[in-house]
Amino acid sequence: MYKKKFTPYLFIIPALLLILIFVYIPIFENFYFSFFRMNSYMPGKTFLGLDNYKDIFQNDIFYTAIINNTWYAVISLIFQVGLGLALAIILESKLLGKEKKFFRTIYFLPSVIAIAAVGLMFYYIYNPNLGLLNAVIRLFTEGDFRYAWLGRPNTAIFAIIAMSQWQFTGYIMILLIVSIQKIPQELYEVAEIDGANSFQKAIYVTIPQIKEMILVTGVITVIGAFKLFTEIFVTTRGGPYDTTQVLGTFMYKTAFFYDKMGYAAAIAVIIFFITFTTSVIQISLANRGGD
Amino acid sequence: MSKKLLSLSIVLTMLFIMSFTLTIGAEEVTLKFLHRWTQEPDNSFFEEIVANYEEQNPDVNIDMEVVSNDPFKEKIKIMLGTENAPDVFFTWPGEFTNRFIRANQIMDITSYMEDGWKDTLIDSVVEPFKYEGKIYGAPYRLDAKVFVYNTKIFEEVGVEEPENFEEFITILQKIKDAGYTPIAFGNMFPWAVSHYMGQLNSYCVPYETYMEDLKPAEGDFAHPGYLKALEKYEELTPYFNPSSNAIRHDEARVSLFNGEAAMMYLEIIEIPTVEQQAPEEFKENYDVFVMPWIEGAEGDPNALLGYPEGFVISANTKHPDEAVEFLKYLTGKEVGKKEAQDLYFVNGFKNVVSPGEIPDSVYNTTQLVLETDSLVNWFDSSLHAEIWSVVGSELQKLTDGVATPEEALEEMRDIAEEVRAQF
Amino acid sequence: MTILVLYPMYWVVISSLKTNNEFLSDPLGLPAKLRFENYISAWNQGFSRYFLNSILINIVSVVITVSVGAACAYSLARFDFKGKNIIFFTILAGLLLSPQVAVLPLYKLLIRLKLYNTYWALILPYVGFNLPFSIFLMRSYFISIPREIEESAYIDGCNAFTTFYKIIIPISKPIIASAAIVTSRFFWNEFLFALIFIEDRSKYTVPIGLSHFRNALTTDYTTMLAGITIAALPMIILFLIMQKQFIKGLTAGSVKG
Repeated sequence: MYKKKFTPYLFIIPALLLILIFVYIPIFENFYFSFFRMNSYMPGKTFLGLDNYKDIFQNDIFYTAIINNTWYAVISLIFQVGLGLALAIILESKLLGKEKKFFRTIYFLPSVIAIAAVGLMFYYIYNPNLGLLNAVIRLFTEGDFRYAWLGRPNTAIFAIIAMSQWQFTGYIMILLIVSIQKIPQELYEVAEIDGANSFQKAIYVTIPQIKEMILVTGVITVIGAFKLFTEIFVTTRGGPYDTTQVLGTFMYKTAFFYDKMGYAAAIAVIIFFITFTTSVIQISLANRGGD
Repeated sequence: MSKKLLSLSIVLTMLFIMSFTLTIGAEEVTLKFLHRWTQEPDNSFFEEIVANYEEQNPDVNIDMEVVSNDPFKEKIKIMLGTENAPDVFFTWPGEFTNRFIRANQIMDITSYMEDGWKDTLIDSVVEPFKYEGKIYGAPYRLDAKVFVYNTKIFEEVGVEEPENFEEFITILQKIKDAGYTPIAFGNMFPWAVSHYMGQLNSYCVPYETYMEDLKPAEGDFAHPGYLKALEKYEELTPYFNPSSNAIRHDEARVSLFNGEAAMMYLEIIEIPTVEQQAPEEFKENYDVFVMPWIEGAEGDPNALLGYPEGFVISANTKHPDEAVEFLKYLTGKEVGKKEAQDLYFVNGFKNVVSPGEIPDSVYNTTQLVLETDSLVNWFDSSLHAEIWSVVGSELQKLTDGVATPEEALEEMRDIAEEVRAQF
Repeated sequence: MTILVLYPMYWVVISSLKTNNEFLSDPLGLPAKLRFENYISAWNQGFSRYFLNSILINIVSVVITVSVGAACAYSLARFDFKGKNIIFFTILAGLLLSPQVAVLPLYKLLIRLKLYNTYWALILPYVGFNLPFSIFLMRSYFISIPREIEESAYIDGCNAFTTFYKIIIPISKPIIASAAIVTSRFFWNEFLFALIFIEDRSKYTVPIGLSHFRNALTTDYTTMLAGITIAALPMIILFLIMQKQFIKGLTAGSVKG
């Protein structure tokens, strides 16, 4: 097929070099950084051993961040995967005719908008005085409702999480629809002969058939929850008083606000372990799905 | 076989190399200049004065970059770590600058200053640029914090400028009772509350003690005055608009302009914004007063919060003489005159403007700065970054009423102790 | 449900066509007259520049990712060579790595390479992080192409490169389009790298430009909302035109922005 032994390598080398230089080396370097005290404007670094990690585990903001990331993951599982699945089943059932393509497009639409744009959109939607949300509430209630959704510690993180549900539920729905479409039609026919109604078909045919995909969407939702950054950065930047910090913004703040690069690298290592293990689960699930 | 592939990779490699080496060239001296005014009219002002300078000095080429305010604080740290750090750049004097001085990133310009330059500048505004007896920069514009108030609302409610803090609280209550927001306040980014604290601290804590506490290697904030300052701040919180932690400073300013709020704590460099953006109705009916003195406090009654902003030179510059010349120009008479006329800002050059050349409100507030002999630095930029980050959060909590002054102070002392241990 | 999805978008678009006074006095009302001036003013206040930057970075990144990725995927799909499994595993494992973990060392690396604050500071890391996915996607497609097609090309005197270029690429257009769309969605969205690796306002991408826009325009709400709409449009249009490839690429990769 090819004459020279090195031909396959010529095809591979550019890609491999780019991946090694810009993905692998930095990630390994990050592990190394996490054992030092260093900052961006002063040359040199001091070896600290595991002190950065010890400090992180004593920092209240770290626990706030983990809790926020977890809330994000749990609520996203319920809405994006749960509601997404329900929508997928409804849209693929025979209840709807041609208009299902229209709904599919509509629900998917928010996920193609840049996260920064969605974040700023909701920054205005949640604004206490001129935001859409309070204006709508004022229509239905007595009195002058001017609640600062993003400015109050008890609602801020949930307001941001709600925004993400708005953006990504349709996205998960599409992933599930595509795998529903791969289910052989005969299975439904058999179920119909057995006298199953739509609900029973969903429970006994659809869900078991797309089990793998449901798990995969669950896993990517969890990974997404721990990679969170832009949504927080453009809305609250972690405020008010650090109540909406997540691991990503906490890392950014320690690196570029506190000037503690090594400490930030240690936070990055923690993000690495969380996202890496979840990804390994995803890959093994996808493989067990046997495609 | 793979000739094409080979040539493709050669072309690609060439492209990379080209993109790396594009910076080489030019015999003339190029100075990298960084400021933080992305908005108009300031940005055009800088373009204009830089163009003028290049015309006057054909052998100097100024490479200007702009980064806006909040990101600037993060970006400057990054840039100073790089080899293409700017030669001349904007800074806030005080701890914000001092940490770079400690890291040998900023050039000592004492010898140039003593060569006659210093005599042309106002002493009290050069002082902030000193660190351990040496001078590191020059002021571009003066600043101070004052209450800007709506005289019509004051008249309507029947109150006058307060003489002391107690009176201040009384008039705030009267204004609130009359249905107005007494103080417009946008504290989404807590530098806003830091301005209150900077002024109150300097009223409640003796000057020398306060200055010592601001040094990250020594500060312990042990003086009881700090608690008093926090308590006084807490007394003000019922008079802010609701959700002040959710609103940005300039969003809050709108409610001052449109007559919903009676006053707001503003920097005098915001007066030009008032002149440009406020409706006529407000422009014709405003005045200013400084934070009322707290009777019986241990600090300096003349203290005024308001440090100048200025420019410094990178210690790694390859062209120190040219950079100094450019710095002299930036902070000198020619630019100062234009700055006052175009932007209504006043720099540190002696007698750069006379009354009548600029709006009275600007001229008069500037005089406040020139009259005081103890300018106090902004609280946020004078604190070590890590201390400030904790203190900023605590002050937001205090504003929301979820932390007490005692709790806030305790957190502040704890973090100061942690930071002290790093030195 | 449909209203819940559409109404926020509608509100942003309709508000972006109001005057600031209309917006402040009645956030829910309709504008008396559609003010497209807001769009012009957003565009002129820097948006044109951010747009150009984003498009430039997007195109270069997509071209490099897809071409370099396709070559690599082809080699992995067709050739047998020493170390193939290790290389494939290395690339595959790249799928598991989160950009956030690399951001601090990358930033130091880019400074050392003198790439910091250039377009390459975004392009190269973007390509690096998106190659594993594109390679993975295209490799499985190339495997499904019958070998006979290439064998006849070799008989006609083509070498490995010309076969790849003349035979494989043309028949793989749909999957290449999918890879291109998914990666460009990532590039258009990317925030963290663009925030940290670019300092110069004239090189900002759309998401970063947009968030700075708010700082400059705090009280000019309607122009800001016009900016948000401008930022959202390109991907919406691309999606509506190329829905099939869009969805195919996303489902094949199962990745989330």
